[in-house]
Amino acid sequence: MWKSTVAGQVLHFRLAGINNQNFLMRDRETGSWWQQVSGRAIAGPLRGQTLELAPYDELTFGWWKLESPQGQVLAPVTKDAKEYESNWEPEVAKLPTVIDFPGSGLASRDVVMGISRNGVSRAYPLTAVVAGSPIQDHLGGEPVVLIVGPDGKSIRAFRSALGTNEIELFKKSDGPWMLVDSLTGSEWNFRGCAVSGPSTGRCLEQLPALKDYWFDWRNYHPQTSVFRR
Amino acid sequence: MLSGLALFLIPAWIIQPFKHQSPRALELALEVHAIAPWGTLIAVALAFVLAFTLWKQVAIWKRALLVIGLALATAATVMARIDYFEWMFHPLGAPGFQTVAATRLDPGEMVLAVRFGNDARAYPIRAMAYHHVVNDVVDGIPVTVTY
Repeated sequence: MWKSTVAGQVLHFRLAGINNQNFLMRDRETGSWWQQVSGRAIAGPLRGQTLELAPYDELTFGWWKLESPQGQVLAPVTKDAKEYESNWEPEVAKLPTVIDFPGSGLASRDVVMGISRNGVSRAYPLTAVVAGSPIQDHLGGEPVVLIVGPDGKSIRAFRSALGTNEIELFKKSDGPWMLVDSLTGSEWNFRGCAVSGPSTGRCLEQLPALKDYWFDWRNYHPQTSVFRR
Repeated sequence: MLSGLALFLIPAWIIQPFKHQSPRALELALEVHAIAPWGTLIAVALAFVLAFTLWKQVAIWKRALLVIGLALATAATVMARIDYFEWMFHPLGAPGFQTVAATRLDPGEMVLAVRFGNDARAYPIRAMAYHHVVNDVVDGIPVTVTY
């Protein structure tokens, strides 16, 4: 998800092509070509410009509406709604890929959570994140934590620190879903905010994390490492 | 006629969904794509001039070839002006929204979620996997939702 304003000009994007199974978009205003996954203009008058990332989450609808009961949901387009594939994920997983990066231990269409900090990138295989949440790690000199939410599907990443103090988060073993930090013993919810204990009211800084196929993440982050437990 | 066709077909051939694009080939495709709108126009104009010149001098079956050639060159001229990817990928014009209560969506379905100020919006991935690009404004901030 991108902010659409570049150098003071609001751009409107349309699909215009494909590059190794990642979409190319063109903007109506200048006709420049943009790579969907990187937000970079690869041709046209704005070549070399990069869109600014709009912070976003990939959540289950069930969890999102708990957090945002007053929110608005994109309405289905009546004439297209019957075409929305309910089973598209396994279908896409079967499609052939056109670029492959063997040797990582991952299959091309394995799903990873991709995170970059200070120019250092790492792919966290979805299966490892789900099995090991919360996942504590260091990336580009920053403490990071990946958390699978109470619904078992939504994933968020945070900077695992209170100010300059690094913290570790643990899942509470009893009662409702809650995390506890190693420094103050406060309880944290899935939004990354402390809801009880000395840190109440404080929130961790959320980090951008891209859910992507391994081949696509690797293609745009050639130096990426792969998280191993 | 051939050059007109080539101007449409080179980018169309390189930018195929299930084909590998090398950086060089993609660059060539985008360069050809950029000159295609007026390039095909010149090519089709030359093709018509050539066809009218030759018409009286050639046999019937060669005239048929000329007609086919003109048709192809004209088609290339039209195609060079059309974003045919939109036939496949169903872009969404102005997005419409509904309340949580009005939404029929399984709680386990994934959504892309954004929030600016008090404006929280969810874009169901099932719909995004069909439309792919939505241009929206959230709390006054223009955003492009992509999937």
